[in-house]
Amino acid sequence: MTGDGTRPSVEARGISKAFGGVAALDAVDFEVRWSEVHALVGENGAGKTTLCNILAGIYRADAGQVIVDGTERDFRSPAHAIDAGIGMVHQHFRLVEPMTVAENIHLGWPETPGVVSQRALVDRTERFMAEMGLHVDPTARIWQLSVGEQQRVEILRVLARGARVLILDEPTAVLTAKEADDLFRVIRELAASGLSVIFITHKLREVLAVSDRLTVLRHGVREITRPTEGATASEIARLMTGEERELKVEHRTVTGAPALELSGVSALNDRGIEALHNVDLTVRSGEILGIAGVSGNGQSELAEVICGLRPLQSGSVALDGKDLASLSVRRVTDIGVGHIPEDRIGMGMVLSAPVKDNAVLHNYWTEEFSQGLTLDRQGVINFAKQLVEAARVQTRSVFSTAGQMSGGNQQRLVARREALAADRLLVAAHPTRGLDVNAAQEVRSTLIDKRDSGCAVLLISDDLDEVLLMGDRIAVMYEGRIMGVFDSADADREHIGLLMGGHSAVEAVS
Amino acid sequence: MTPLGSIASAVLRVTPWRLERRLEVEARRAALTRIGGAVGAMVLVGIVLLLTGRNAFWIFWQGLDAIFGRQRGIEGAALRAIPILMTALGVALSLRMKVWNIGSDGQFLMGALAAVGVGIHMDGPAWLVLIAMAAAATLAGAAWILVPALARAYWDVNEIITTLLLNFVALQLVTWSALGFWRDKEAAVIQSTREVAHTLPGLPGANSVTIALLVPLVIAAALWWVFRSTTIGYEIDTIGGNPRAAGYAGIAVRRRILVVMLFTGAIAGLGGMLQLSAPGAQAMNAGFSAQFGLSGFIVAALAGASFWGVIGGGLFIASMFYAGIVLQTKGLSVYIIFAIYGVILTGIALGEIAARYRVVRRDAADESGAAATEAAAAPQGAGP
Repeated sequence: MTGDGTRPSVEARGISKAFGGVAALDAVDFEVRWSEVHALVGENGAGKTTLCNILAGIYRADAGQVIVDGTERDFRSPAHAIDAGIGMVHQHFRLVEPMTVAENIHLGWPETPGVVSQRALVDRTERFMAEMGLHVDPTARIWQLSVGEQQRVEILRVLARGARVLILDEPTAVLTAKEADDLFRVIRELAASGLSVIFITHKLREVLAVSDRLTVLRHGVREITRPTEGATASEIARLMTGEERELKVEHRTVTGAPALELSGVSALNDRGIEALHNVDLTVRSGEILGIAGVSGNGQSELAEVICGLRPLQSGSVALDGKDLASLSVRRVTDIGVGHIPEDRIGMGMVLSAPVKDNAVLHNYWTEEFSQGLTLDRQGVINFAKQLVEAARVQTRSVFSTAGQMSGGNQQRLVARREALAADRLLVAAHPTRGLDVNAAQEVRSTLIDKRDSGCAVLLISDDLDEVLLMGDRIAVMYEGRIMGVFDSADADREHIGLLMGGHSAVEAVS
Repeated sequence: MTPLGSIASAVLRVTPWRLERRLEVEARRAALTRIGGAVGAMVLVGIVLLLTGRNAFWIFWQGLDAIFGRQRGIEGAALRAIPILMTALGVALSLRMKVWNIGSDGQFLMGALAAVGVGIHMDGPAWLVLIAMAAAATLAGAAWILVPALARAYWDVNEIITTLLLNFVALQLVTWSALGFWRDKEAAVIQSTREVAHTLPGLPGANSVTIALLVPLVIAAALWWVFRSTTIGYEIDTIGGNPRAAGYAGIAVRRRILVVMLFTGAIAGLGGMLQLSAPGAQAMNAGFSAQFGLSGFIVAALAGASFWGVIGGGLFIASMFYAGIVLQTKGLSVYIIFAIYGVILTGIALGEIAARYRVVRRDAADESGAAATEAAAAPQGAGP
């Protein structure tokens, strides 16, 4: 079922969908052609995922039609959609971790033989991979694979079901830069072989790099569909956000005694391998130190060491001359250290608990809420309401569970909570990851406000643009070492990029 | 969706209705659906009894009359409720932290054994002996879970296996005491320890129920307050919800796990002493624990770790067991009684699940319905 290139592979006409009375999509038209990569762009909550969930049979539209290759369809389940050739790869993978790649691909596939040997499964998988030009070791178990490889297995699994229209929901959110490049190559090849690829994203660089055409959604309404050629990032951004909001950051040079001082710090990661090697670092009051580097080069361990969550192997960590390493997590918090953790769901909040309980996770024991044993329930509720308002978090009430909020709202809540807790030092690990443009700007403004109020800010991010924008000084990390520290005025993008890639300081400087 | 939820959805597929998951379950609804489940189960039991030629109305009437028709019935149910409530409260406390103490039977037995040891060897005024017995039982219950608690808190050893296996060790110790070192050499009953001379004071107006009945009520009230209004309750709930977040918040997670597990053992152990201090039950024999821990576990699981739910559920199950015993004397076979227990407990369990869903018409469903489905499908966190 490949078309002649003019008839759309999938077409949505006048799709509307409301959740609990709130319109998520309002009469949206959307059309994808064969052999094209179509980027679906918009901020968090613009309706991108909802639209694709309707195309993939997960939701049913309140109004409108879905037309697949010229035939109107009414999907009642994802199985119907995949029968019609539409398959979706979700942001969160649905793979069985202890099983092999071959087993995962054959799981629930109607063409899987009833009785089959491991050998035959592997052979079938290899043939199929060769056909698709996508390769992963079929005998590897899922947990042994990198995130990028797992994603490839997901794509293969959808293709194995006969998908001719592939929907990828924010596929690069979990990938490293190199894995993302590999994915783009795969996407181009799939489109070249005649498939349609719908690529959901809010990263403009990716839209320009990979798509043939693009559609911008904003607040559930289609703003534009146009060829990518000739489009500019600022134009797409304007359509996405409806207004131009650029953050201007005045960098400053601060002198004086360092607030946070690390010297000769070494620490192990969870697997017992050295993740930090002899790190020397200082952050002064009233400045933002940006840590640039590819994820997984010791940044998470650095944040945890500072906040008392990870023991030191050697070296010292001091805040205002006071040794932090010997203090409990609680004492570190008490002296004014806030921490926006990288894994906000896994570490920063309790999804099963109400928003109000999450709001006080880092200060419930303080005099404000606790007189000895008791917890001031009304005080907690009032504080939570203020926090929700200040952070512009959307939640039904402070009594509903944190797990019911969207990821962006969870992130905003944690970021604001930690900014409030931070008097002397705020450690922010990837604070804007996964946020849309406006929400990210809000979080950045919060960090700048903290800086201007005299707090020391350590910003860890794998988004180099963000580090360059925000950092008054910039340090580069690679394999647990500090490769160099620069004032923002002297920071050269290319030079830093080389250091992030592991080119030694001498080599890069010369 | 739970497996049962999926089955129910599949059944509903051919009808114009469908199941929808609720975002939040109110306490009142959760209680009502459980009661509804129990009532529905009893109706089902009644129909089956009628179909097999038995007079279901007479049987139910006899069951109700056995409990509420006379003071002895009410007291009999209350006596059975005390050990069930004590073990259930201990389990419910552990469940708040997502720890499964399956060993409440063993802790209960060790508490009773310690109480007997003190009671038959200590001289002194009754009140002093009884207080010493209670203290010994509390400590013994805590001691019996000490090793599993340390292993769980500091080495992440699964507590389900360790607490469960210690039940059998406790049972052997009790048998040994009854047959061996504390055996009553004068009594006609062969397998029993000597009797403790003292009993707890009776409740005003009661023949056999002592102030022991007040203990689980006081403990439930105390636990309810701890989880409602204290930082300790907040910390335990946080550990239960996400241990990594608890560590991030500076909560001493391992120490809290240890202390809470010791408390659950202590509550079950005290239950053993309460059981032993009732008139006519002042000695230990090999059959001393009629699987109170198991009943307590069922109550805690069905109550969903709500402490008032434990009280209500424990009283109900104790009444049901008592009525079953009386009905056996009226000619109903023990197998039928057990089957009835099972159906009623299943009914309550289904009621617990039913509270999480609602049935809506398909066409009306889509608007608010999909919101609920979406929330249910949303990733609920990668926390361990």
